[in-house]
Amino acid sequence: MSIVAPTVEPNPLREGLEQERVPDASCLVIFGASGDLTHRKLLPALYSLAHDGLLPAGQTIIGFARPDYTDEAFRMDIREACNKYARTRPVDDAVWDSFAKGLFYVQGDFSQPEAYNRLNRKLKECDETRGTGGRRIYYLAVPPQFFPTISELLGAEHMVTDPERGGPYTRVIIEKPFGRDLQTAKELNRVAVTTFRERQVFRIDHYLGKETVQNLLVLRFANGIFEPFWNRQYIDHVQLTVAESIGVEKRGGYFDTAGITRDIIQNHMLQLLSLVAMEPPVAFDADAVRDEKVKVLRALREFPRGREEEFAVRGQYTEGSVSGEHAPGYREEESVKADSRTETFSALKVFVDNWRWADVPFYIRAGKRLPKRVTDISIHFRPAPYPLFKKLPGVQTQPNVLAIRIQPDEGIALKFDSKVPGPTVRTAPVTMEFRYATSFGAEPPEAYERLLLETMLGDSTLFARRDEVETAWAWLDPLLRTWESDSRPPKPYSAGSWGPQEADALIERDGRKWRRP
Amino acid sequence: MTDLFERAASGEEVRVDYTAIERTLADMWRGEGDEHAVTRAALWNVVAHTSTGEHHTHASETLSKSAAAVPQRTIIVRADPDAASELSSWISANCHLGGEGKRVCSEEIAIVAGGERVSRVPPLVNALLIPDMPVAMWWVGDLPHENAEYVQTLLDPVDRLIVDSVHFNDPADLGIVKRVADDTATAAADLNWIRLEEWRTATASVFDPPEMREKIRAVKGVRIVASVEDETYFGERIASLFFASWLMAQSDHRVETTFDLQKGERRGLIRVELDLGDSKATIERDPVRCVLSTNVDGRTSLPDAVTRSQLKGIDELIVRVLKQPNSDRMLPKILPLALELAQKQK
Repeated sequence: MSIVAPTVEPNPLREGLEQERVPDASCLVIFGASGDLTHRKLLPALYSLAHDGLLPAGQTIIGFARPDYTDEAFRMDIREACNKYARTRPVDDAVWDSFAKGLFYVQGDFSQPEAYNRLNRKLKECDETRGTGGRRIYYLAVPPQFFPTISELLGAEHMVTDPERGGPYTRVIIEKPFGRDLQTAKELNRVAVTTFRERQVFRIDHYLGKETVQNLLVLRFANGIFEPFWNRQYIDHVQLTVAESIGVEKRGGYFDTAGITRDIIQNHMLQLLSLVAMEPPVAFDADAVRDEKVKVLRALREFPRGREEEFAVRGQYTEGSVSGEHAPGYREEESVKADSRTETFSALKVFVDNWRWADVPFYIRAGKRLPKRVTDISIHFRPAPYPLFKKLPGVQTQPNVLAIRIQPDEGIALKFDSKVPGPTVRTAPVTMEFRYATSFGAEPPEAYERLLLETMLGDSTLFARRDEVETAWAWLDPLLRTWESDSRPPKPYSAGSWGPQEADALIERDGRKWRRP
Repeated sequence: MTDLFERAASGEEVRVDYTAIERTLADMWRGEGDEHAVTRAALWNVVAHTSTGEHHTHASETLSKSAAAVPQRTIIVRADPDAASELSSWISANCHLGGEGKRVCSEEIAIVAGGERVSRVPPLVNALLIPDMPVAMWWVGDLPHENAEYVQTLLDPVDRLIVDSVHFNDPADLGIVKRVADDTATAAADLNWIRLEEWRTATASVFDPPEMREKIRAVKGVRIVASVEDETYFGERIASLFFASWLMAQSDHRVETTFDLQKGERRGLIRVELDLGDSKATIERDPVRCVLSTNVDGRTSLPDAVTRSQLKGIDELIVRVLKQPNSDRMLPKILPLALELAQKQK
């Protein structure tokens, strides 16, 4: 028997409240509930949502994993994690008591149908006792190789329903990596749509949950002044940097099979690039926004065969020091092969071949063991068309730069030249700054909080769509294959530097320099 | 760093000639730019209007706290037409530690006017507002029923008028707020209404489950229990009136209402009982756990839920008003009903 999803009007008592829409209570099942992601991010994010009153009464969370836990032991474990990692720590007793009443654990092996039977019984019990109405969200916080099995068994055990087929909703959240190349991404997507429809699939890229990334859309499309000069006529080039000061930590085994290009550029950086380069969407809804992002990805110019080195540099860190601390070389890291050719740094010169961006280079770089952790986008404008002050002594004008800091110390800065006070005309660059922390004070919600809430509300605007993922892989695949077939090691750079010299040469050949973020 | 800045930032109110306030503020900030040790910030002009020394001190203390959450140029006016003739001004800086150990500071200007010089306050305040930045005016205490021209000139550049109706001694005060909301471009905000936000959230949560949605229009009666210091004072009853008015406005039908005022130490609502016909919903304040807990029982039963309910200071309520990007569209909607209920009680 299927439960028919009723169509209900919005709650009028929510009008004018901070959260005008609250999701209907559902059962959120976390596959891989004993893992790091669950403890550091997912449950602390859910607790913070409860703390801020953003979860509906009856919201239920079920941890599903192989280790043997009781509900009580799981709750204690999660409470400790929330006390360590939640934005709203320390845990508030009253909020916790209410939150913990909806927190359960089911032990099971993802490959065993009996485990799904147990899970399903628990889910149905919660529908009865907690008013979750058959609504399901499955969060796959597991390595991608488990996805086909989980997806297949959820389907086989009739644990997936769809309002279009007369049932309550089921949604599935998938974590990156969405494959390791175009072929595996397509295979993952094929498996997904055998059990789920595309609109039931929420591919999470936590960068899209960051306030500053969402602010890119507001900056561009809520302000009248930027869009008129957001094009090749006024913009000289764009730089995107994702720098990490840490190495591979405990992820050496995974990272050594992936590399920074798959780990950061294929997803986070191409998302950022899409948001910077996209056309205004016709509406702020999931398909309109993602349609425009896909158009940018489709317009990415292929790397010319045989001339990849002119457009792409890969590097690998060697021993050095970061923030005054000694840092071992990549090949000395735990679980990394001693002769690894995996890149820990990548710099690319990219072109978006369309009317707006023709011949404007986008320089993107991502690396580990760089001097500091920073994610930054800078728009470099063309110089003034006529150098009016050039002949005057002491005048050296500089192009304007609009810098958007994604993390940390989120904000936006505009650099422009100003006259230095005095009897003669001299100029100096000055910066006009906006900082989130200064202007808005309060700490913004964690990316996972926003994304989990959006999933519960059924809004997939901030999630990657199938064609986005596949188009990104289709563009990057040839370069990755070229690198894999190249027997030469990546260019070395000392831990604590801004990458190999070849990365500097990549941009300096064009008469430009990397911005120091 | 200038000596003037250090004095102002240390909490000292530096006396300045009222014709030289902007110039002195510019002097105060000069020299900060190179060191980048201090960030000067403002998102709002906030004017507090007071008429006594006690209110002036209260406003200054409150807004210096709220400036840490919402950077603002604060202007505190003390205007007393019955006092000796004077017009004096002081400046100071409200600073707090922001990210990366930097000090974030905003300015505070104090103006004291007495006698016939009170009439000079509106143009002086007008000249001191930072351009292209919204203006909020917090009217501390009871609203004036006379001197309409003075009030109107003061309110002219104001985007948001903030009052606290808990201090109102007569329903006519609510009428003034309604007139401002209805007839001027200034939006009204009432801290007494903001205090009800968590009660509204908790009550709304009862009707969030789809199966409960239709029951909003089935609410037959409501009993509102509130704790008051003085049950004869009109302002003490307004929170209950607002809650009942809101419920009726949003459920789109008249509801049998019972008000139960109990003498107690902490003002505010204690308990709300909704008669849903076949079930009863209760929203209750648990002062020990600092939550509002909801319970629905009868033919329908829902899991109990909690909404955090921390005691908020005036500064936090003002921050809440200033952080709302748009004016409150609910208050104008419920004011007519609240006035009607107040008249009936009279």
